[in-house]
Amino acid sequence: MKKVIVGNHAVSWGVKLARAEVIAAYPITPQTQVVEELSEMCASGELKARFIKVESEHSAMAACMGASMTGARAFTATSSQGLALMHELLHWSGGGRMPIVMAEINRALAPGWNVWTDQNDSLSQRDTGWIQLYCETNQEVLDTTIMAFKLAETVDIPVMIVLDAFVLSHTAEPVDIPDQKDVDAFLPKRVARHKLDTGNPQAFGALTTPAVYMEMRLRQQEAMEDAVGALEAIDAEWGRQFGRTWGAVETYRTEGADLVLVTSGTVTSTTRHVVNELRDQGQKVGLVKVKMFRPFPGADLRRVLAGVKDVAVLDRNISPGHSGIFAEETRAALYDLPAARRPRVHGYIIGLGGRDVTPATIEECIQKTRDAASAAVPEREDVWVGVKS
Amino acid sequence: MSQIPVSELIPRDELMTSGHLACPGCGGSLAMRLVLKALGPKTIMSLPACCWTIVAGPYPQSSLGVPVFHTAFETAASTAAGIRAALDMAGDTETTVLAWAGDGGTFDIGLQALSGAAERNEDILYVCYDNEAYMNTGIQRSSSTPWGAWTTTTPAGTPKSHPKKDLLAILASHGIPYGATASVAFPADLVAKVQKAKAIRGTRFLHVLAPCPPGWRSSDEETIDLARQAVHTRVFPLIEVEDGQRWKFSIEHPAEPVEGYIRRQGRFRHLTDEQIRHIQAETDARFARLEKRVKFGT
Amino acid sequence: MSEGRATVEIAHGVPTIAVSTSSTLPNRTGSWKYIQPVYQDKTAPCNAACPVGIDIEGVMNLLRLDRVEEARELLLRENPMPATAGRICDHACQGSCSRARFDEAVSIHAVERMLGDLPGVTRPAPPRTRKEHVAVVGSGPSGLACGYHLARLGYAVTMFEADPEPGGWLRFGVPEYRLPRPVLVREIERIRAEGVSIQCGVRVGVNLPWEDLSRFDAVFLGSGARARESFEWEDQGLTDVRPGEDFLHEVRAGQRGRTGRRVVIVGGSDTAVDCARTALRLGAEPVVLFAGAREEMTADAEAVEEALREGVRFEFFARVVGMQVSEHADDEQALEAIRGMFDAPEGGATRPRIVGVACVRMQPAQIAVDGSRRTVSIPGSSFVLPADTVLTAVGAEVAGDVLPADLHRRGYVLKVDAFGQTSRPGFFAGGDLVDEPRTLAHALGSGKRAAIGIDRWLRTRAGEAVPALDEPALRYGGSGNMSITRWRGDDPVRRVNELNEVVAFDQLNMAYFRHEPSMPDHHRAPGESGADFGESNLGLSRDEALAEAKRCFNCGVCNDCELCMVYCPDVAIKKHPSGHGFSLSYKYCKGCGLCVEECPRGAMTMTREGL
Repeated sequence: MKKVIVGNHAVSWGVKLARAEVIAAYPITPQTQVVEELSEMCASGELKARFIKVESEHSAMAACMGASMTGARAFTATSSQGLALMHELLHWSGGGRMPIVMAEINRALAPGWNVWTDQNDSLSQRDTGWIQLYCETNQEVLDTTIMAFKLAETVDIPVMIVLDAFVLSHTAEPVDIPDQKDVDAFLPKRVARHKLDTGNPQAFGALTTPAVYMEMRLRQQEAMEDAVGALEAIDAEWGRQFGRTWGAVETYRTEGADLVLVTSGTVTSTTRHVVNELRDQGQKVGLVKVKMFRPFPGADLRRVLAGVKDVAVLDRNISPGHSGIFAEETRAALYDLPAARRPRVHGYIIGLGGRDVTPATIEECIQKTRDAASAAVPEREDVWVGVKS
Repeated sequence: MSQIPVSELIPRDELMTSGHLACPGCGGSLAMRLVLKALGPKTIMSLPACCWTIVAGPYPQSSLGVPVFHTAFETAASTAAGIRAALDMAGDTETTVLAWAGDGGTFDIGLQALSGAAERNEDILYVCYDNEAYMNTGIQRSSSTPWGAWTTTTPAGTPKSHPKKDLLAILASHGIPYGATASVAFPADLVAKVQKAKAIRGTRFLHVLAPCPPGWRSSDEETIDLARQAVHTRVFPLIEVEDGQRWKFSIEHPAEPVEGYIRRQGRFRHLTDEQIRHIQAETDARFARLEKRVKFGT
Repeated sequence: MSEGRATVEIAHGVPTIAVSTSSTLPNRTGSWKYIQPVYQDKTAPCNAACPVGIDIEGVMNLLRLDRVEEARELLLRENPMPATAGRICDHACQGSCSRARFDEAVSIHAVERMLGDLPGVTRPAPPRTRKEHVAVVGSGPSGLACGYHLARLGYAVTMFEADPEPGGWLRFGVPEYRLPRPVLVREIERIRAEGVSIQCGVRVGVNLPWEDLSRFDAVFLGSGARARESFEWEDQGLTDVRPGEDFLHEVRAGQRGRTGRRVVIVGGSDTAVDCARTALRLGAEPVVLFAGAREEMTADAEAVEEALREGVRFEFFARVVGMQVSEHADDEQALEAIRGMFDAPEGGATRPRIVGVACVRMQPAQIAVDGSRRTVSIPGSSFVLPADTVLTAVGAEVAGDVLPADLHRRGYVLKVDAFGQTSRPGFFAGGDLVDEPRTLAHALGSGKRAAIGIDRWLRTRAGEAVPALDEPALRYGGSGNMSITRWRGDDPVRRVNELNEVVAFDQLNMAYFRHEPSMPDHHRAPGESGADFGESNLGLSRDEALAEAKRCFNCGVCNDCELCMVYCPDVAIKKHPSGHGFSLSYKYCKGCGLCVEECPRGAMTMTREGL
């Protein structure tokens, strides 16, 4: 079934099809449509779930934790300040290995107040033990939402589906909505490995001494590493069943490219357009879309970027005092390549706080990369594009 | 019979094991033991940061015979709401979801989540075991700490200068179906209240005074007697409130002077006679307000 | 419970998350403590205060459990005369009752009386397991007690009584309205049923020579103190001035008792009150004259209360200074008319007659150095109390003339050791013959001590092994009276780590008791009561007495209330598998002491021993 829906509703549809059992959420622009639609779905009975309309995002995550530890499939959605408020519990749910799924609408953090998109909110949470999957289209949002539950429950790690505020969340696109029975076949009811069960009274999360804490973190890390392969397998299964795959990392027209742009989120679509144009002009330009940020698909990036001369990473985020975060991570991943095959990585800060990223913005980044490639040493690691001088 | 029957009103089965890590004479561990006896094994516990985080024992131990979710400090009620929702989805209406928090996690950092849960009338039983300060972190004042008390953050030279928060009234104002105070010195009353609460659906709140020998600077063996004296002096009256409006005293409260209660505790050692008279006056006034609530409703 | 938790998948030595699958039982938190509780039954104050030496607390505890027959048996182990003692004993037990400091003492005497009055169970006398034969001289309470206990220890006992019927002063000195004869008869029958042979009408030393007792293996002397201290006014040939005991004896013997209308009784003893109430029942107008305050009287306070209710007049703080005598009384004619209603005095009208008692008012003076209170006369306060008869009730002394002369004495009384043994081996004594307060309870208690002494002496003589002498261990609380059960070592009550010390009131915890006033004894209506010799105090009904027993705190003795178990924050206390008492796990007990502090009855103690 094809429907023209906004990104936020694509989330809601994904959650419904995944048969989430407990939803706990608190409204925040630009996430509100997700929960409004889910409220309607619960009210109409289309979705048989308990929706707890909590008094804060912190409580939303706590309720999801409680539900998840009791064996339920739990979901929440938030954005920006709300995600920041959840921070403590992102560690709790990540470290506690609770397969919760969250839709995170990328919105800039205050102050000053800003409801428009950038990635600093989600990327600030990169060390909390959550898988992060960035989406480019509403179809990808819907597909990823369903796959996220399967991935989370496979590796016992919570998953954050990330989509850009407004550009995706409030933008309508035609979306192919799969049949419920097909989704049910793909994603059966959750079977929890550990749960709060009066028939088997266990305690979860008791005081953990230095003698064992580190091993538990190692197990978390191993599960994160497993998640890359798990996503690949789940994505392949999705593809077999529904004819679409997304991959942890997608390459676009990279064959023979001497300059490859690395993107995430909706900037990717704009970049595809620019790549098409430049290829038409004969430039050897390609694109790598990073969907999975945590765990970071370093091996995939080394595979697809080895031997490329220049890599331009477009970051709609900034780690103040350092650089764009995707650039930083990409540089780190590619450093392991032999020097001869190691690309030069150029980082560009674009589109913060919802500033438009147009084809011209991308083209400027490409030009700056070409310029820097001929220079001996880049002036600085991060280059701000589209800012007033 | 002349002796007040107690033991026959206390269920026999133990759901708490020996070897837990509470200090000797811990009122909070006794409260846990009694509450679990009253609830039985079909109970799931949301346990935020508090003394009990330690008392329950380190991984891979648990002194509690029911499933326990060790959760974040401010999330006793919200985690419990999630557990309840999941049980509802699984069709389990029998299991009681117990949120078990200290006064810090209830009066202070967890109050928002508790208020949210109470407003939504989440089907949970929230028990606050109140030792009147942040004891697990080494005796810092909370909004439950009584006026005039010494803590490590309210030194004797400048003891706490604000009265204890009237938490039951706050909860009652949410219109929850059941709220009550209870005391480890009145175990039969405590158990009866938990059993009553267990049979009610919606948010139920129990505020249990649990003396803490290290924090109150009292002797280990005085825990029960102090808890009893707190009731008998009307410092901590035993009361129930239904639907936020029908208030009822659980016992006749003798009006023993507060001085006897205050003077026994090292945390009040610095108080002058005049300050104790102030506590007496405040206690009397609070009790008079309670009497009004009992008489006229809220 | 906890050890059965499901296992979890492990890698790097840990599960995926911190999931607790074991309990805290491996933690030996008991190692934290520096002091620890022990269960330790102690002695209830009533047990220690009872001159008879009764496990009163044990009796009350059995009654609490409605084990009435066992309670009676426990009582009868130590006291052969509960129906009597329940009526006329001055119940020192109640004076020491912890409950008196909470609301009102348990009405122990009423409970005892009820148990004593229960219809008896007929059963064969205990077998004669001993070959020895013991003589008991006198069938007053000490003799009866001694004979009873010896019979129950397996001895043959022959009791000699000078009077025609057994009972001593219980029969002749206690008025019918306080101790109905059928009650006494039943009690004596119970003692006889234990195998005690009583031969009446035999006054040893008079119509049976002391030498004849040499055929017995041991002798107990319990012949009492019928002879009296002199009262200076008695020796003036005034026949109207007579010993109260004689008067009571006459009335109990069925005679009418010779008094005039106006009877003045001098003294503050039970005998004084008994005389007054008896005279009242005979139609006279008795006045009791006592030099001190009402509360200083040795008479049972309740009996004084009853006497007042019945119409007996008391003159406190009044002392006799002389007798007013007239050969021809002023109102001779009127007096004669009234006297005609009574027996005529011996000697006829020619003898001098009492017409009044000259008295002086007294007042309390300072407390003496020894703590005793003194009274002094008030100058110019003399007054005359009109009187036709004066009865004296100021005490009795040992009738030394009939006792073997070689027995060492101390003052009026025989010198004996703790077990009543006199200076002559094999001769024991008790009751009023020895230096003890002259009460029923002391008499019963001394008889028991002598029975223990005789048993020990005879066993030693027979070359048998006897327990090492540990007199305090035999005594309740170390200094109360001796327990025959302890001597026999066959206590039916299971004691936990018993400490033979009286539990102090502050070791009890009053928080666990409800105020519940004591049930007062029923009495006949005052108008009825003073009129005849029917029993005036009717005691309590069985149900009332059982309810009264349940007021007992069971001081010092675990009665399985389980509060220790309820309050243990460490779950270290469990019911003992035997069903009685508790087992305490020192492996986990942190020594907080809550159990000891909260025990309502002081049956636990904190100790450093064993750590």
